[in-house]
Amino acid sequence: MLDEENINDLGMEDPDNEVIDSEPESEEDEDVKLAEPSKTAVNNRDGLLDKLGDISWPENVGWIHKLSVDIDREQEVDVNDDLTRELAFYTQALEGTRQAFLEFQSMGIPFLRPSDYYAEMVKSDTHMEKVKGRLLAEKRKIEESEERRKARENKKIAKEVQAQKLKERAKQKKEEIESVKKWRKNRQHSGFAGGDKDGDLDFAFEDGKAFERSSKKQPGVAPGDRSGGKAGKGGGRRGMKGPDKNRKNREFRNSKFGYGGRKGPNKQNTSETTSDIRGFNGNFSGRKRKR
Amino acid sequence: MGKKRKHSETAAVTEVNKEDSAAERPKRTLLGWKDKIEEKKESDSVVGFRNKEKVLVTCSRRISFRYRHLMLNVVSLLPHCKKDNKVESKDSKGATLNELVELKGCSSCLFFECRKGRDLYLWMAKCPNGPSVKFLVNAVHTMEELKLTGNHLKGSRPILTFSTNFDKDPHWKLLKEMIMQIFGSPKDHRKSKPYHDHIFVFSIIDDHVWFRNYQISCPHTGTQKIDRSDLEKMTLVEVGPRFCLNPIKIFGGSFGGPTLYENPFYVSPNQIRALEKKQKAGKYAKKIKAKTRRKMHELENPLQVDELAHMWNE
Repeated sequence: MLDEENINDLGMEDPDNEVIDSEPESEEDEDVKLAEPSKTAVNNRDGLLDKLGDISWPENVGWIHKLSVDIDREQEVDVNDDLTRELAFYTQALEGTRQAFLEFQSMGIPFLRPSDYYAEMVKSDTHMEKVKGRLLAEKRKIEESEERRKARENKKIAKEVQAQKLKERAKQKKEEIESVKKWRKNRQHSGFAGGDKDGDLDFAFEDGKAFERSSKKQPGVAPGDRSGGKAGKGGGRRGMKGPDKNRKNREFRNSKFGYGGRKGPNKQNTSETTSDIRGFNGNFSGRKRKR
Repeated sequence: MGKKRKHSETAAVTEVNKEDSAAERPKRTLLGWKDKIEEKKESDSVVGFRNKEKVLVTCSRRISFRYRHLMLNVVSLLPHCKKDNKVESKDSKGATLNELVELKGCSSCLFFECRKGRDLYLWMAKCPNGPSVKFLVNAVHTMEELKLTGNHLKGSRPILTFSTNFDKDPHWKLLKEMIMQIFGSPKDHRKSKPYHDHIFVFSIIDDHVWFRNYQISCPHTGTQKIDRSDLEKMTLVEVGPRFCLNPIKIFGGSFGGPTLYENPFYVSPNQIRALEKKQKAGKYAKKIKAKTRRKMHELENPLQVDELAHMWNE
């Protein structure tokens, strides 16, 4: 027992240089081949063949005892390429099974396990449950990611469709307004002759939607109206209860001291006054500058 | 039960009857199989051969968990094996093991030896005076891994496949014979089960022997007949375990004896580790050298004194 260890070490001293030259990878699990074979390796072919003869079974033993099939591998397989290596093993096994099954069938031996044959398996049921759980979890993960991806795509598409629709609507609106303007202009040009120039009007309403007053009962507030709306008009004069005492009081005070002014920074610009910059041009000295 | 019967002259008498009846009886699962046993018995008795292989499977002490599981997987794969306690021996391992094998009445032995808790060596030996092989085991995946999803009957006889490069060299031929005898279950073994639903693959790639175990899943109708289309639809699922054997030496005797073959490409894992360490040590030595070199350089070329160096000292 000790001998072979010593022989091993001695045998490997010589090709030490080769070992360093061959740049072994430093993984513990992978082993490394020497760059060139060690010169001192023993290969006693005759001895090997003798021993083979010693241990072999007799020649005419039936195949059923050996159950071994030799498969030829067509092409060389690179050890480091995992996928092709495993594929090579798989094809070897598949070919072997096919040949063996044909042999079994010709011998008339049962070889297919019936579905009702229950016996102890090499892996326990609990272990197979775990395997099943893992496979299902993987499948679920894949499906979920697929769904998420599809949902994302759909959202994107929906958004695009929505954007399209909005654009369509805006375009429609613009076209309608344009057509009305054109109609008005045409009417102006042709001196308000009635009846002839209704073509444009008709054209604009081809889609069947007549100009309907909106069906709301309350009249909307005109844009230029700066009174208080509903609160200002009717609400101020109706009941003379609690808040109305305050109203009378307020009016008395107003007449005495003057109107205090509307509360808060309400909007004051109208469409005319926004572009009215008369007050700002050149009169910077006259106004109180904000520090 | 005819299974334990020694092949004797009585078999010859019954064979005539059985041949007639076997053809008529319908093939039901267990009964049909029993008939087939009788039929095969007669072919045995003609040849007079019976596979009485028994394998002793042991390991050394301080074996790590992964390799222990591998050993247990191998035990479950071989119905004709006997598992024994851990063998503790500093030296004279060969003698101890030989005695143990004789004691248990086995004809071969698989000994898993784990060194330094990291390297697994597998000894495969035919016991009374047969040859023995020492392998280094790599790339171990046990059956417990959840990625290996197949399952098969415990004790069913495996189909063995070898790649044809086992016939190229005498040492591979010897290995093939040994593997076939050790890993093939004997026919009509007590613990063996009928039907063949798994297959072992041994192939040589890059001077290593790779082992795979696949479950055969073949859609069939229930009768023992398959046709071309069924064969095409057959799939294999890997059951495990997986390992890769690197032959180191072949000896003429059991666990010792004259060396018949040495693998010229083998580098022991110890040497690999030593080499790594040497390379790393080289890095540190270089660093030290660079430091001393720098120091010498500084001593030889002293810097000019800088007038403004102490300006801000207070």
